[in-house]
Amino acid sequence: MRAILEVSGLSRIYGPGCPRCIDDTGPEAGRNVCPHCGSVVAVHGVDLKLMPGEILGIMGESGSGKSTVVKLLNFDEAPTSGHAQVFDGERAWDLFALNAAEKRWLRDNRMGTVYQNPHLGLNLDISAGGNIAERLLMSEVLSYAEIRERARDLLARTQVPAMRMDERPRRFSGGMQQRVQIARALVTNPPLLFLDEVTTGLDLSVQARILDLILELQERLAIAMIAVTHDLGVIRLLATRTIVMRHGRIVEAGLTDQILEDPQNAYTQELVAAAL
Amino acid sequence: MPIPRNSLPPHSEPGSDVVLRLKDLGKTFVLHEQRKTVPSASGISLDVEAGALVALVGSSGAGKSSILKSVYRTYLPTCGRIEFVRADGRVVDLATAPESEIIALREREIGFVTQFLHCLPRQSTLDVVARPLVRLGVPLAEARDKARGLLCRLGVPERLYDIGPATFSGGERQRVNIARGLIVRRRLLLLDEPTASLDAATRDKVIALVAEEKAAGVAILAIFHDAALVAALADRTCEISPPAAVVLEREVA
Ligand SMILES: Nc1ncnc2c1ncn2[C@@H]1O[C@H](COP(=O)(O)OP(=O)(O)OP(=O)(O)O)[C@@H](O)[C@H]1O
Ligand SMILES: [Mg+2]
Ligand SMILES: [Zn+2]
Repeated sequence: MRAILEVSGLSRIYGPGCPRCIDDTGPEAGRNVCPHCGSVVAVHGVDLKLMPGEILGIMGESGSGKSTVVKLLNFDEAPTSGHAQVFDGERAWDLFALNAAEKRWLRDNRMGTVYQNPHLGLNLDISAGGNIAERLLMSEVLSYAEIRERARDLLARTQVPAMRMDERPRRFSGGMQQRVQIARALVTNPPLLFLDEVTTGLDLSVQARILDLILELQERLAIAMIAVTHDLGVIRLLATRTIVMRHGRIVEAGLTDQILEDPQNAYTQELVAAAL
Repeated sequence: MPIPRNSLPPHSEPGSDVVLRLKDLGKTFVLHEQRKTVPSASGISLDVEAGALVALVGSSGAGKSSILKSVYRTYLPTCGRIEFVRADGRVVDLATAPESEIIALREREIGFVTQFLHCLPRQSTLDVVARPLVRLGVPLAEARDKARGLLCRLGVPERLYDIGPATFSGGERQRVNIARGLIVRRRLLLLDEPTASLDAATRDKVIALVAEEKAAGVAILAIFHDAALVAALADRTCEISPPAAVVLEREVA
């Protein structure tokens, strides 16, 4: 089976950069800010592969570069260097060689992103249904009735009460906003979904329901996902394989149960021990 | 999934119906923070043939569970080979096979039943047990029927099928765990004290089920706390002695 996403040598440096940025940052150096030029090496040399229907976890401390990886892959940011290819079963795209229109199309039709902060994934001042319809309008031509029907269906799947479809998400609880965000991300049936700390900051019982929903969607729709989180419980529950990042680099990658029960890297051992 | 017996192509390395062969397997933990290395198993060599049950015996802490976890790749072995003959006859070294292959083998060919039930929260018992089959594409209704059959044979009361196992007693959870571990017929089954908290009557039911797996040609590597299970099920035992030194100070780079 061919990977739906294959990434190699992904890097993002914020700042002017200098010849010593890479050597003097990273886990050994213990920092991601270059001492010579002050640039932030947010992500460097990241390789990963995601199989269709698989959930890959990315964990690591705050500032380790987890979110940057997602931002580079969904075109929120441009990489400094690296390659990434998406293959949807029919066609392959080299993500960083596309023009603006192609990127937009791919983002609207083949990817979805759910952010920790609902402000980033939703317009809180248009109705829940409108948020979903908007994404459909961008992706394909459907009649008004069809769009409304699809929006209703997605909201039902994500357990947002139908009667709230015409309300603005600003008035919703955090958990409900996350559901609308997930509905919006999924309405175009993307085979690839990015989840960035989607349960962080929610009540435990709400977290549990969101995680259930994600697993159910993955099981029923076989969507491949990258789940970014610093929560080992979320990793254990969602991810088959996990990548551990620190200071912008991957320090360890493996099967999730191996990462949690037999971590090889000193930093991973610390993380796991701290969570026990 | 029928297990072809004696159907290995002549070029496959291990002998005629060997399914699993450990060659000088060793596992040592390197604890960076404590600057320690902890050997947990060393020099383990053994074969498990189709239809055979090999029981690992030895004192507590001898490294029996480490061996099973290394075979399942929950632990990364430090040295040695873990040769597994796949259903298609290909021999893979589970110590080094790519993760994608390990994931596929865990779904279809290698099962692991431990003492503890790890399952998705908030799922009904029936679905917890049915899940491995559903993941292989078996229709939900059919998978649930099979799950019901297994739970029933293990004496799990029917009133528990529709609720989640979170609140179950130790013995109930363990039976759910066994049912889930046996619902897909594997080529290789790893059992780590699956009956630790079961009464004698239930234990006999488990013995009958495991005997059926053997009769169907499944290769089994097991740890039993109970000598009666070893006597009832094992074709051979393999004595595991604790690794020479328990803790060695060592410079960690
Ligand atoms: N636009 C930017 N300009 C400069 N530095 C940035 C920018 N965006 C991110 N960074 C830096 O890049 C590094 C990685 O940030 P990132 O958001 O990817 O971390 P993260 O692992 O997602 O952390 P968290 O767990 O806190 O969300 C951080 O040091 C951050 O300050
Ligand atoms: Mg982040
Ligand atoms: Zn620099």
